[in-house]
Amino acid sequence: MIGYVLKRLITMPLLLLGVITLAFLLGHFTNADPLTSIIGERNMTNEAVVAAARERWGLDRSLPEQYLVYLGNLLSGDFGTSFRTKQPVSADLLARLPATLELVIAAMIVGSVSGIVLGVAAANWRDRAADHAARLFALLGSSLPVFWSGLIFLYVFSVSLAWLPGPGRLDPRAEPPPTATGFYTIDSALAGDWAKFGDALSHLVLPALVLGWSVTGVVSRMVRGSMLDVLSQDFITAARAKGASRLRVLLNHALRNAILPTLTIIGFSFAYLITGAILTETIFSWPGIGSYAVAAARGLDHPAIIGVTIVGGAAFLLANLLTDLAYLAVDPRVKLGARPAT
Amino acid sequence: MSDVPLQAARRMALPSWATAPVVAGGAIALFWVVTLFTVHWWAPYDPTALAGMRFSPPSAEFWLGTDALGRDVLSRSLYGVRQSLPIAVAVIASSVVIGALLGALAGYIGGLADELVMRAADVTLSFPPILLAMAVTAALGPGLRNAAIAMVIVWWPIYARLMRAQVLSIREREHVEAAIASGATPSRVLFRHILPLCWSPIIVNATMDFGQIVLLAASLSFIGLGAVPPTPEWGQMISEGALHFYRWWIAAGPGMAILTVVLAFNFLGDGLRDVLDPRSR
Amino acid sequence: MLNCLSRLLRPSLASIVLALCAGTALAQDQPLVIARNLEINSLDPSRAFCDTCQIYLSATYEGLVRLGSDNKSVEPSLAESWEVNENQTVFTFKLAPNAVFSDGSPVEAKDVKWTFERLKNVQADASFMMSLVQSIETPDDKTVVITMSSPNSEFMGVLTAPYTGIINSDVASANGASAAADANAADTAENWFQSNSAGSGPYVLASYAADDELRFKANENYWREAPPIKEIVIDQTADAVSQAQALQSGAADIAMQIDPDTAETVSSPDLTLQTVPSYNFIYVAMSPGAEGNKVDLTKEVRQAIAYAIDYDGVIQFTVGGEGNPQASPIPNGFPGTADLPMPVEDLDKAKELLEAAGHADGFEMDAPVAQLNVYGVDLVLLMQKLQQDLARVNIKLNIQPVASAVWREMVASPGVPFTARFYAPDYYGSAQYVQFFGMVPDSFWLTRAGQGKVDLLNQKEVELLNKALAASDAERESIYREIALEMINDRIIVPVVSPNLVLAYNNRVSGVRYSACCNLPLAELSWSAN
Repeated sequence: MIGYVLKRLITMPLLLLGVITLAFLLGHFTNADPLTSIIGERNMTNEAVVAAARERWGLDRSLPEQYLVYLGNLLSGDFGTSFRTKQPVSADLLARLPATLELVIAAMIVGSVSGIVLGVAAANWRDRAADHAARLFALLGSSLPVFWSGLIFLYVFSVSLAWLPGPGRLDPRAEPPPTATGFYTIDSALAGDWAKFGDALSHLVLPALVLGWSVTGVVSRMVRGSMLDVLSQDFITAARAKGASRLRVLLNHALRNAILPTLTIIGFSFAYLITGAILTETIFSWPGIGSYAVAAARGLDHPAIIGVTIVGGAAFLLANLLTDLAYLAVDPRVKLGARPAT
Repeated sequence: MSDVPLQAARRMALPSWATAPVVAGGAIALFWVVTLFTVHWWAPYDPTALAGMRFSPPSAEFWLGTDALGRDVLSRSLYGVRQSLPIAVAVIASSVVIGALLGALAGYIGGLADELVMRAADVTLSFPPILLAMAVTAALGPGLRNAAIAMVIVWWPIYARLMRAQVLSIREREHVEAAIASGATPSRVLFRHILPLCWSPIIVNATMDFGQIVLLAASLSFIGLGAVPPTPEWGQMISEGALHFYRWWIAAGPGMAILTVVLAFNFLGDGLRDVLDPRSR
Repeated sequence: MLNCLSRLLRPSLASIVLALCAGTALAQDQPLVIARNLEINSLDPSRAFCDTCQIYLSATYEGLVRLGSDNKSVEPSLAESWEVNENQTVFTFKLAPNAVFSDGSPVEAKDVKWTFERLKNVQADASFMMSLVQSIETPDDKTVVITMSSPNSEFMGVLTAPYTGIINSDVASANGASAAADANAADTAENWFQSNSAGSGPYVLASYAADDELRFKANENYWREAPPIKEIVIDQTADAVSQAQALQSGAADIAMQIDPDTAETVSSPDLTLQTVPSYNFIYVAMSPGAEGNKVDLTKEVRQAIAYAIDYDGVIQFTVGGEGNPQASPIPNGFPGTADLPMPVEDLDKAKELLEAAGHADGFEMDAPVAQLNVYGVDLVLLMQKLQQDLARVNIKLNIQPVASAVWREMVASPGVPFTARFYAPDYYGSAQYVQFFGMVPDSFWLTRAGQGKVDLLNQKEVELLNKALAASDAERESIYREIALEMINDRIIVPVVSPNLVLAYNNRVSGVRYSACCNLPLAELSWSAN
């Protein structure tokens, strides 16, 4: 097992290099000249301007040369400069990362809490109406496209009922709280600004619900399965025989045993959450990495596309590693290297 | 893994495939497949023609209203299946063929070929699927064909891994060893003795992935990297509907369409999983 | 104002609480919020070129002169007086003695010279404004003499454009800016300008987060009367519907990109929705020189296509009828546009012309278009409407929606047979339109439409333009009218709609108006008295 962990750790940098290389190649094998994103439309036919831009952005060099320069710059944390925002891509990504993390973590909480509750309920009332309802609700979440459910949630809760604010992270009039973590909820709480905390939290609710619901199904399925597994084991029967109440057995013994495998599946749901975050951020004007990626892809902002692909890949790689290791720690019988299909 | 015999016995009493979700999923999937082939006979309007006033709310004449160009949302939603299902089938088929072939070769030949294929798969699987698909379509330019290529690039490694694992386990079986001992050529061993036994998990996986691919294709269109207007494509229609958010019906048709297709395949996939992985039953 | 936690906890009282929240938000020191799709290409005055840039630059920088509220007259700004010689080649300005930049240092002649030279030498989108400038002299700290290489009666108009706002040259140079001939490569200040302003305008840049918000605060050292509102935020709000929603919920005070279709769905006694004609327009362009042409796009064929367009229908479909037809590529109301013949739909004539050209059975035409929604018009949607129109004369449009950057590359080379695009003015004056749309040397569309393969040069337009640039104010109107008629006749550019602009704002704000150069003059905004 230690051998396996070591092997994973050693292959990590190699995979990361592969990720960087693939992202770089994708960013350069395009049907559109990156210059079009830099030069204004009036000067596209001005050869002097075009040549100067090529030189300035290093596009006059050969591809391998550009690749080596890019790798060298990466080592010092330099992802190049975005064509669109004119800022270093690393600065853009750093500024947007907390927004995405705040959303993804909130959605993870929504998804796992709802998934655990539904899973426990489904296991408890196995094959009864509650089981079917819980499974249907969870499946609905993973089948709804978030870019439509987001619209519905906005229409219902923000426009029609006016319970919650519309898109964005904060009321536009409010200034962001002093940066400590970059999470507006935590930062405003740290600053003791409870009005701002409420504002940030109320803005977070809708996108977190939309995104969280999309992973409810993965979690509830796992919880239900492991609960049923545990419930059929001898020590549960013994506990019941000793007169422990049904609910007590359920929560105390079964859930405790089911929680570890559930944790790992929550890790797996990270993949869904990243996919969902990109679309949710677009619907909710959430200024995170996802909306940045969409704007970059639409605007053919190559340095930004490459940067965001590398960062996304690295994060994904890390999450997979942690999940695999957690899985291994929980259930050593698991066949190494064979991940459940997502 | 730790199944109790008694439980298994009770399950045997029910035909495990005939659960309500599987039947419902099958029915919905059948509806869309029939629609795919017959929609031009019975859709109320031409999906790209001006059918009435723009922004008409749902009415007896237009069940799901009309969009910004006065086109019938219901007809467009129905025609949308002609983009989504063929794309999903094509992506699944190509990914299975490419992935399974590479996986089989990697598993059978081993050595350098194995390393190359599996490392390529590892790198590809290191990306969140949508991000990689976005990068590919940004490079190739928008369009459903390019979006499909992007999705094949995202999906083939899953099947390559599956197939490799299958081949590795089956080549240890006696009848394969016997075939090798009797002097069969390696390609004959692979294609006649190993591959025919490898397909079932792949088919199950493909069914379960189907809904995900429909969803991803719609997502790419939604962010403007997939289908090109005036093609009636669901993701593209929802993005048009988002621009006219207060006219909720424009997005409602395609939204329901995506929901039902994906739900149907999730039902089917769930049913299949129940059969194959009794623990979660 | 949405900070009331109780809204979360007691949803049934939401509407009451919302009203309470709104009531407490009226404090005068609240920032004013404008909901807008930022789409900023740069905040560097010499490199910027976008609608939000116009708002930003006109609030943080001041030019030598400015455009009056009639959208026509030129008024003093940093220059308190000026003189123009008779043949429109030498312009002399006297700067206001008390004008200072936001850091308190005086605005001097050297800053003007440096700013204009930089604008010319960075070779960005707005550099064309300085193309005729030959030399700039600064006889003393407060006098600037600008000499043109040829007559330029448009120059005073150009100087009202926000891109010609005067930059504090000492501060900018210290941060990497350069005005030298090689500024295109040597200037490295753009990144600095993304988080700092260096002008003399009523506001300064407080902060800018791309895709999120642009925040202004009042310039403490402003040399004239301070603006009524101390803090303004332009909040990234991508589309018309979200802007309407922000306005209705009270999250925003002003929105200017609400299209007429969406405006219909907005109703609130607290809001004013004012529809005004704009100087923006959407046009169709045909390029006979484009590589993808399957038939020869002769003038007769172009004429036929123009006749086949259902102009009323286009206005109906793109902006719900809230727009005006426009005759030539010079916007309605600009010099030379009085009583021009409007484009008409005439299917019989179109078919006749096509038959004469041998295309009775029609033909196919590639139509790449940028995926953009501008001034309430979705260009791809417009293309779909045109596709339906042209199908009536058997012309099949192959719509190819592409990213804006790709569109720019495609029109530059190899050209696109048929496309749609938009234009918005930067100042009041007609020469900019002739130089962009006319078939005169170096015009944007002469090179794009001809691709060096088809000679489209219109000698008469060239002569008329030279005449107009040397003419006095009184004579220009009639010369531009002649040019407009020539441009209509070229049939390269066919305007299809000039969309109306919806000014939507909360009644607690006053001073909202549409400006031809600057979109929304922020310094004129104030909170209403009540």
